[in-house]
Amino acid sequence: MMVGLLLRRKATGLVNGLRSLSAYEWVRNLAFTAAGLGLLYGLYSGFHRLLAYLTTVELIGRLLIWKLTAMMMLTTFSMVSVSGMLVSLTTLYFSFDLRFLMQAPLEISDIFIEKSLESIFFSSWMIGLVLLPFITALAQVSGYGWDFHAAFIVLLLPFLALAASMGIAFTLILLYLFPSSRTRDAIYVIATLSLTLVYALIRFAEPEKLIRPDALHVVADYLNFLQAPTARYAPSWWLTKGLSSYASGKTAVFWRCCGLLYASASCVYGLLLLLASRVYFAGYSGAQEGFLRRLKAPLGPLLETRVGRWLGADQAVSILFWRERKCFFRDVKHWSQILLILGLIFVYIYSVKRLPLDNQDLRSAISFLNVGVAGFVIAALGLRFTFPAISLEGRSWWVVRSSPVSLPGLMRQKYLFSAIPMTLVALALGVMTNILLEADPFTSLLSLSTLLVMTWAIVAMGIGYGALFPMFNVENIHQIESSLGGFVYMTSSLAYVGFSIMILSWPMQMHFRERFGKVAAWDWRIAAVCAAAMVLLNGAAFLVPWAMGRRKLEAYEGTA
Amino acid sequence: MIRIQGLVKRFGPLEAVKKLDLEVRPGEIFGFLGPNGAGKTTTVKMLCGLIKPTEGRVEVAGFDVASRTLDAKRSIGLVPDEPFVYPKLSGAEYLRFIGELYGVPLAEQKRRIPELLEMFELEKWGGELIESYSHGMRQKLVIAGVILHSPKVLLLDEPMVGLDPKSARMAKDIFLTLAKRGTTIFMCTHILEIAEKLCSRIGIMISGELTAVGTLADLRARSQGAPLTGGGWRQGTAVPGGAGSSPLAGGGSGLEDVFLSLTGGREYADLLRNL
Repeated sequence: MMVGLLLRRKATGLVNGLRSLSAYEWVRNLAFTAAGLGLLYGLYSGFHRLLAYLTTVELIGRLLIWKLTAMMMLTTFSMVSVSGMLVSLTTLYFSFDLRFLMQAPLEISDIFIEKSLESIFFSSWMIGLVLLPFITALAQVSGYGWDFHAAFIVLLLPFLALAASMGIAFTLILLYLFPSSRTRDAIYVIATLSLTLVYALIRFAEPEKLIRPDALHVVADYLNFLQAPTARYAPSWWLTKGLSSYASGKTAVFWRCCGLLYASASCVYGLLLLLASRVYFAGYSGAQEGFLRRLKAPLGPLLETRVGRWLGADQAVSILFWRERKCFFRDVKHWSQILLILGLIFVYIYSVKRLPLDNQDLRSAISFLNVGVAGFVIAALGLRFTFPAISLEGRSWWVVRSSPVSLPGLMRQKYLFSAIPMTLVALALGVMTNILLEADPFTSLLSLSTLLVMTWAIVAMGIGYGALFPMFNVENIHQIESSLGGFVYMTSSLAYVGFSIMILSWPMQMHFRERFGKVAAWDWRIAAVCAAAMVLLNGAAFLVPWAMGRRKLEAYEGTA
Repeated sequence: MIRIQGLVKRFGPLEAVKKLDLEVRPGEIFGFLGPNGAGKTTTVKMLCGLIKPTEGRVEVAGFDVASRTLDAKRSIGLVPDEPFVYPKLSGAEYLRFIGELYGVPLAEQKRRIPELLEMFELEKWGGELIESYSHGMRQKLVIAGVILHSPKVLLLDEPMVGLDPKSARMAKDIFLTLAKRGTTIFMCTHILEIAEKLCSRIGIMISGELTAVGTLADLRARSQGAPLTGGGWRQGTAVPGGAGSSPLAGGGSGLEDVFLSLTGGREYADLLRNL
């Protein structure tokens, strides 16, 4: 078996990668790790508060906790399965080293085992890690010892392997049945739709009712809710059952659940190997084949150049915009992201609608604070769409760089391409929230105009930081998002949103004083200072990253 | 048409290009040769404004690349060593993009894009996304793109790599025709036969230094004396135990002999012995 050799090769690469890290990279990685640990701690605190509250609910507190655990495990299982589907698509069919491995004197099964183990690991480690704060909080609240954690790990490993294997099996079958690079596109869309569905289902299941039993008017409703299926025959239930049995000292049940999980994982992985021995190579071979489209040659006047001419815009910016639009909408990965965003907006507006607010003043206040949340959403979307825009020029960077296009022209085009959809998202979030919350005219106007300016500033920061930290030689967009530049962009954007809210809270306070009937509530000097501070803040947000990015890009000498 | 004065490029402690002075006239095809890592691609990148020189000045078509960058770029057509272009555009769309970017009138684009696609035998592929193209097809598309906007200066970095014999022959003919019409061509290549047949003058760069420039006859005359590695002329070395006809023996007269003679051949000889 050559699997050992293949795995050792991975380990050697990892060790070499760690050894070659510079001091700066060590510091950067440690900073990322610290931020990640901070996030885990935050999750732990949240779970701890929630679980501590649930234990205080009389009679059914315990039941509620395990119900919540079962729901979390079911969600985890579906997310790891979908993730396994997506990750295996890349690792099994499109990773860079496959051309080398496939022509080497290796058994196809050895390649599959190595690649499938890689898929299982990468599709589950992060989701598995997020469960740890929950389990720690559960152990803390319930007074379980460290052996509870050990029992959880024992149950978790086959659980994750099983979930990921099922996702891999799905990809394997699909690529065999439809052996084409187009299947990759279809899988992206299916996977995203599944994730959006899981996300929407969780939201529409109204999990907040678990915390607020009083929200369900009739006891019968509540009991029904508790009886709602948590998929008792699914592996997520075996894990929950095993864990709860261990906690209550029923070791026989625990071992039975354990056995079920390990047997199922082994069985599914065994079947996966059998399946792979028959269909993997056929699917791999088909996936390498292109898909013919027969597009019509665009020899008439182009929409963008006509609009650009009408607006008196730079011709180069118009044609770059045309190219960007074509390339963007032909990349199915972007479609799936757009689906997710639409789901997100829908759930966001639904959540605002469900807010239990009876007071008109409170509604207006929430409408203003919504600017912060919507700003965060815009910044997060920017991390996916705006920040990577420059880097996504990729290895074609030479085309634009050697052509008669100025870098500011390119940056303006990227800005425009991001700003238009982002403005639409901001308008959807801002206008709908104001309407649903029936905010007063002053609050509506202030929040909406702030949100729009915020959106345009965040987009400018995205392009600026994207230019400041260009990455033209990456395999996928996630490497750009999770880079140091992405971190700096996100931190700066969030700081900007925070400062904006802080500054604008002064005029809002004065407005509320006026609403509450206070005479001469407005101090125009404070209002003027706030206006000046906003101009300064936005000036800095618009110009500083932009200018720094432009300079960096002009001096860029990397290969592309 | 291309004027290079005191061009230097440093990457940290590495001096990739050392005080390069060179002039290439209109209508001339200049071959730029040298071993891997000699600094040829770095020079091309500076000529077309992809990277900035550390010192020195480059003038293309009468425009200083540093101060009148866009004017200079408008006059240049670049074919890089790695013809990577937008995978999600079709071949025809890429040409349209290039046409608009370089301000080719629409009527001319309508006429020339189908012509160029046909000329490079890409007419059936013009509507397909570039991601489905082979390396050679992408190379042909990039060459079609530079021809579309009729640049005054062509910068070619290994333009024949990946081309089938018919396309390579056609590309050579195209370059010769363009040169006859006055286009300046600056070509980096490792295919010495192409340099020999196409180039009116040849420059050999070793470790960032232009160590020899001239016509093939000039270079041949100089190589009779001694090979050159890095700093200066050195006594020639015959291949120990090598075949009598080995180019390293110095007896040949083609560009390959001249090139190997000028760039030194001891390592090559050792390698041959160990094979």
